[in-house]
Amino acid sequence: MSAMTAMIKSEGKLLVRNPGVMVWSTILPLAATIILAAIPGVWAPSDDLGGLSFFEVYRPVLVMFVLAILAMQVLPDVLTRYREMGVLKRLRTTPVAPGLLLFAQLALTLLVAVVCLVLMLVIPTLIGAEPPQNLPAFIVAYLLGGWSFLGVGMLIASLFRNAKVAAGFGTLVFFVMQFFAGLWIQRPLMPGWLRTVSDYTPGGAATAALTDAGSGQWPQLLHMAVMAGWGIVTSLLAIRLFKWE
Amino acid sequence: MAMIDVRDLRKVYGPKTVVDGVSFSVQPGEIFGILGPNGAGKTTTVECIGGLRRRDGGSISVAGMDPAGEGKAFREALGIQLQESRLPEKQTVAEALQLYSSFYSRPRDWRELIERLGLGAQARTAFGKLSGGQKQRLSVALALIGNPKVAILDELTTGLDPTARREVWGLLEDLKGTGVTLLLVSHFMEEAERLCDRVAVIDRGRVVALDTPADLAAGVQADQRMSFIPSGRIDTVALQQLPDVHQVSSTGERVQVTGTDNVASAVIIALHEHGVAVRKLRVDQPNLDDAFVAITRNAEADAAAAQPIPDQSTAAAALPGGHR
Repeated sequence: MSAMTAMIKSEGKLLVRNPGVMVWSTILPLAATIILAAIPGVWAPSDDLGGLSFFEVYRPVLVMFVLAILAMQVLPDVLTRYREMGVLKRLRTTPVAPGLLLFAQLALTLLVAVVCLVLMLVIPTLIGAEPPQNLPAFIVAYLLGGWSFLGVGMLIASLFRNAKVAAGFGTLVFFVMQFFAGLWIQRPLMPGWLRTVSDYTPGGAATAALTDAGSGQWPQLLHMAVMAGWGIVTSLLAIRLFKWE
Repeated sequence: MAMIDVRDLRKVYGPKTVVDGVSFSVQPGEIFGILGPNGAGKTTTVECIGGLRRRDGGSISVAGMDPAGEGKAFREALGIQLQESRLPEKQTVAEALQLYSSFYSRPRDWRELIERLGLGAQARTAFGKLSGGQKQRLSVALALIGNPKVAILDELTTGLDPTARREVWGLLEDLKGTGVTLLLVSHFMEEAERLCDRVAVIDRGRVVALDTPADLAAGVQADQRMSFIPSGRIDTVALQQLPDVHQVSSTGERVQVTGTDNVASAVIIALHEHGVAVRKLRVDQPNLDDAFVAITRNAEADAAAAQPIPDQSTAAAALPGGHR
């Protein structure tokens, strides 16, 4: 078994042994999507939502919810704890680079998130929901959004030495991000100025781009650029600031 | 050819010189101890040897390689057990060993290693549920899993209870003669006495003694210690003035006296002359611990002589003809 596979397998086992995280990050949003899809009436276009149905507006929020928890709460918590415990330093004493662990964590996060995404698209479709009308655009928007979320998470893991502080800050960022993504007030219902702010956050841009793709359009260039911008800036900062011990 | 060769190693943190010209060499198969008080520069020294820190001066060769290069071949040849390094709480012993063995090109069989380290029954136990001794044995296992030529073990038994400590020592004794060269960092003299072929004592970033544990103990003229309960009042000032006595102190009714080899008879005779008897007498021979204290104190005194600091004179006076 190669070191990479062994590492991903090992980290995967450890993730599954943390049932709280799994329930909160995957099962909860998955269940919410399925239940929502099954409620009659969520399909009716609403004038309040700019002609979109409630499901169309809310699905992107739930899809990104999984990635937001994994990237902003789980990832910084795991990485800062590994640093505190000396796991990263111990890896430095072996022939593999400690970067392998980072890569394994990112790969694992993406894997779990993509599995959830597929289930969140397939299961509602089976019970009669409409899949996103522009699937390629949906996937591109999802990956760009994922990049910006993971970048923010990696930056949190780089900025904080103390695992508890990092986890706390991650939770705060998660809620702020979900607010702008429209978890509580859907983007079409936001006042104009708030929606503009939301446009420039990773969460808001991702929801907007996924909503456009869901109703068959290509996302606005603004939203794509915002996500890519956050992705590039946070990744560069994280690479520069990350410490192994 | 030496397996580890360190020449004039220097490491500076800001204005502070932590390692100041350390030199020693370790032969293949040898168990070499690095001893010293806390903050002496032991860990910094081995972390430079292990390629985890960049040195500021001198040269290091480990199995013919320079740790500063820090290549893959170097990591294959060297296993390091770091001070206070943990594993994820929920990772089992077998999982950790399997994972780490996947990092090396010619790993040891982890099943054999697990048995050898007496962790067979704990193979499926999570790291968080292991005892202190078991955690340390697993740590040793991880340092050896890659089949290294050299293993560095840093403060392996610090914080362990005496039973667990003996458990780990037993394991290292078993490793003797398997060909792996061990560099053992410790501040327990007893540990070095039991395990090491040779020992370097480091203090204030310098090697202050380098010898076999037995010769180290023999070479130091440490004080003899006696303690007793006198039958009546004694004159401590008069006792202090005896030529064989260095120091007199008392706790409760028990009196402690340190001095030369003759201190016990000198004190008993002097007290007898005053009609005082000595009860519950205890006399301790200097051991390796005393040697360690004497060596490091002596280095302190040398430092004091170089840049006069008051208050160090007692240490020098108490240790005539100390070892270098």
